[in-house]
Amino acid sequence: MKRTYLGEFEEIVLLTVAVLDGQAYGVALTHEIIEQTGRSVRLNQIHAALQRLEDKGMVKSEMGEPTAERGGRRKRLFSVTAYGRRTLQEIQEVRASLWHRMPNPLNPAMSL
Amino acid sequence: MKTNPHRNQSGESPPQWADRLLGWFCTPHKLEEILGDLHEEFAYQVDRVGVQRARQLYVQEVLGFIHIFPSKQTTDSVFFTFLLHPDMLANYLKIALRTLWKNKVYSGINVAGLAIGLAACLAIGLYILDEFTYDRFNTHYDSIYRIVENQKQASGIYNVAVTPGPLAATLTKDFPDVLQTTRVGRWSGALTQGRKAVEADNMFFVDPAFFSLFTYPLVLGNVNNVFLSPDEVIISESMAERFFGTNWASTAILGKPFKLNSDHTLTLAGVVKNPPEHSHLQFDVLLPFKYLEQYDEWSMKWNSNSYHTYIRLRPETNLVSFTDKIQLQIKRYANESGTTLELQPLRDIYLKSTFDFQTDWGKRSNMLYVRIFLTVGLIVLLIAVVNFINLATARASQRAREVGVRKTIGAQRSSLVVQFLGESFLLTSLAVAGALLLMQSLLPLFNSLSDKSLTLPYQDVRFWFFLLGLTVFVSLLTGLYPAFFLSSFRPARVLKGVFTIKTGQTFRQSLVVGQFALSIVLAIATVVIYQQLNFIQTKKLGFDKSQLLYVRLKGDLRAKALAIKQDIQRLPGVANVSTTTSNLVDVMNSGTIEWQGQTPKDEFLITNMNVDADFMKTTGMSLAAGRNFSAQITSDTSSKLGSYLINESAAKRMGWTPASALGKTIKFWGMDGKVVGVLRDFHFRPLRVVIEPFIFRFRPKDYYFNLLIKTQPNAVQRTLSDIGSVYKTYDATFPISYGFVDQDLNTQYRTEQRTGQIVLYFSILAILVSCLGLFGLTTFTTEQRIKEIGMRKVLGASVSSIVTLLSKDFVKLVLIAILIASPVAWWASKIWLQDFVYKIDVEWWVFALVGGLSISIALLTVGFQSVKAALMNPVKSLRSE
Repeated sequence: MKRTYLGEFEEIVLLTVAVLDGQAYGVALTHEIIEQTGRSVRLNQIHAALQRLEDKGMVKSEMGEPTAERGGRRKRLFSVTAYGRRTLQEIQEVRASLWHRMPNPLNPAMSL
Repeated sequence: MKTNPHRNQSGESPPQWADRLLGWFCTPHKLEEILGDLHEEFAYQVDRVGVQRARQLYVQEVLGFIHIFPSKQTTDSVFFTFLLHPDMLANYLKIALRTLWKNKVYSGINVAGLAIGLAACLAIGLYILDEFTYDRFNTHYDSIYRIVENQKQASGIYNVAVTPGPLAATLTKDFPDVLQTTRVGRWSGALTQGRKAVEADNMFFVDPAFFSLFTYPLVLGNVNNVFLSPDEVIISESMAERFFGTNWASTAILGKPFKLNSDHTLTLAGVVKNPPEHSHLQFDVLLPFKYLEQYDEWSMKWNSNSYHTYIRLRPETNLVSFTDKIQLQIKRYANESGTTLELQPLRDIYLKSTFDFQTDWGKRSNMLYVRIFLTVGLIVLLIAVVNFINLATARASQRAREVGVRKTIGAQRSSLVVQFLGESFLLTSLAVAGALLLMQSLLPLFNSLSDKSLTLPYQDVRFWFFLLGLTVFVSLLTGLYPAFFLSSFRPARVLKGVFTIKTGQTFRQSLVVGQFALSIVLAIATVVIYQQLNFIQTKKLGFDKSQLLYVRLKGDLRAKALAIKQDIQRLPGVANVSTTTSNLVDVMNSGTIEWQGQTPKDEFLITNMNVDADFMKTTGMSLAAGRNFSAQITSDTSSKLGSYLINESAAKRMGWTPASALGKTIKFWGMDGKVVGVLRDFHFRPLRVVIEPFIFRFRPKDYYFNLLIKTQPNAVQRTLSDIGSVYKTYDATFPISYGFVDQDLNTQYRTEQRTGQIVLYFSILAILVSCLGLFGLTTFTTEQRIKEIGMRKVLGASVSSIVTLLSKDFVKLVLIAILIASPVAWWASKIWLQDFVYKIDVEWWVFALVGGLSISIALLTVGFQSVKAALMNPVKSLRSE
């Protein structure tokens, strides 16, 4: 396969990391994803996904500032790497071209 | 309740036990961010759904994380290596203890052998350390030097440790680098205080700087103003105790009058602390050098060498240029021909003093023996280490399955190496503990062997560090090869059973050969040393040392020597008596001689002693030419033109044959005389050195210092008491001091005897440890071949044929070892024998003897197991399977 396989959940996490633009960390990502998708997401799932993404080289991370509600602990801030960005673009392109080639586009208004 | 430092803003905190749970299961480097997120989420949930629900959610989240990271082991190996996981370590330890216990015999052999080797090494280490601590108590240890001379004489260059008296003063005057100097001259005599008289063991003349140059502190007296006048004396603590009793310190003894040899009165200026045992200078009475200058003009002359000169240099002195500068100091003042000066650092004095003419009277040892002991100790250790390697690799087949299984499950080679190294570390630690126990019980024996008082320095931290280092080093030495050997097995082959004991056999065999070669070298060395010692004891010295005793004459008895001699001569048990200036054990007097036909610049030192006409009869020496001294011939005893007896070496040195020497004129110590007789050469020095020229004078009017008495055989004890009572009529104050010439001559070889004994014990140890290893190896191989033996027996093999079969291989190895060891031993013996001018030849039968002995010992070791195996009922070994 040309590129590393990216799961659907991973893709969402990666996109959210891109959306949050430098302010992405465990709790923020969880809340954002819950808000945007309505799924019930658990912290540990986010952490596992981030770990996988980091292993694949799509995100990179650094330790941020400590805050009081974290009990003085630092947070790990994630950002999308160039490779991650390109992967997202490729997925977008593949989807766009597939949508484009659909002879009978799934238009809800028309299907009725 | 404890306050939680991490309590969040709303004042509520998540359950601590959940945090702790997470701490156990989560990788530490992730813990911070995860806990942070969890706490932040908790704070958010508290606001949203209340504390109770938030706590529930929190626990759920934590459990979720535990689900993700099931163990601490993650892809991240920075923090956790599989190798050092506590579970694995526990497993290694368990397996190690099980194998140890399962193979009690081998483990026992390994640990015992190693313990013996380590104990030997420790003992030797302590000995050598002790040798190197000599004189280190001195504060200025690094900047003290002794001035020694290189005397260039026609017969060669001689190194002497003595220098002229005036030298020290010129050194201080000419060289600003010299901070302090002291001369040390030897004297002997007895001190009297009131009615008590004590003969000093070691009496030195020293300069006032002696006490501060060296670190010999005064217990009583002021170090700044002692020895400024010539009539003072300083005694050691032990001497003070002998004179004034144990509580001398509480009585006012300073200023008390002493008499030296009952003529000169001296006042007590101080009491010096007893010189430490580790001091090359040992003394109990010190006299000011000024005293000597008053009574002995030679002490102020440049052409007499009698004193050690010690200097203390500025620490920053450039030694090379300083040595250059002082080299010609004697020439500058005395015009002496070819005598140059050199510096001998204090650190070298005890171990590296080899001077001619016995001019060094300090306590001394020999670097050669330090090296010999070091080698011997290391050899014993090496043999023990080889045992370990041998048995570990031989038993490889037993561990092979384990290795195979471990590898199949996924063990890295590195973790196996660590496992086996760990096992050898465990065994070595046991052995070190055993060695300490051994040392503890055998140290007294070793101390009496080595004539030292060594103790294990338990309270010294460095000692423990050394032990730790030793353990690590030895376990690496013993463990590395087996670890790499065992961990190299291919699991597929091993588990299929395609593994034979043959693996590594050549290596093991060469180790056995090496081991036995080393033991045989030691054994041959022992035999050679004992042969040489025996040679020394039985060598004809040119005089008869048996039943020859000497009596020291002290003080005014020296003038009455002839009268005492006559009285003793009358005793029934006495064969002959002679008055002399020396006791034939350490003849110290020497001087330069001039002779008829001497070429200019050709000069040499000749050793001298004054005797009387009965000397030859008493000692049993014989003439090569001419006649003995006679009391009837007036020229013999005349102080104008005297007569001399010389030895053959002296005649040869002056270019004469014994016959042609007769009637020649010579001048010794400024007195002309004729040679009337030439004595056959005799040994007046240890057999290490060649016989030197000797000259006898007959001076009945001078002082005699000794009586040489030849007693009748079998009457020694009674005669001794008779001599004692005669002596008492002349001197009631001092007890008689006497000695036997043969005994005293023997003590000159004490170092050699000691070395012989130590090497003997160590070679026994070496052979013992080698045999231990051989025993283990045989036990193992016979066990491996137990089925083969059973089959052979069933098919009709006799016991003897089986024993031969099993022993043959080992005997072959020992034979090879003998072949290798013989030339090495021969070479080593030659080196040691170089120390002696008169020595044995190393003969072939020594090699044959030791070789035969080691083969029989090896056969005994191997044979025991072989016979046991051969006698076994074959049913037993063949039944199972």
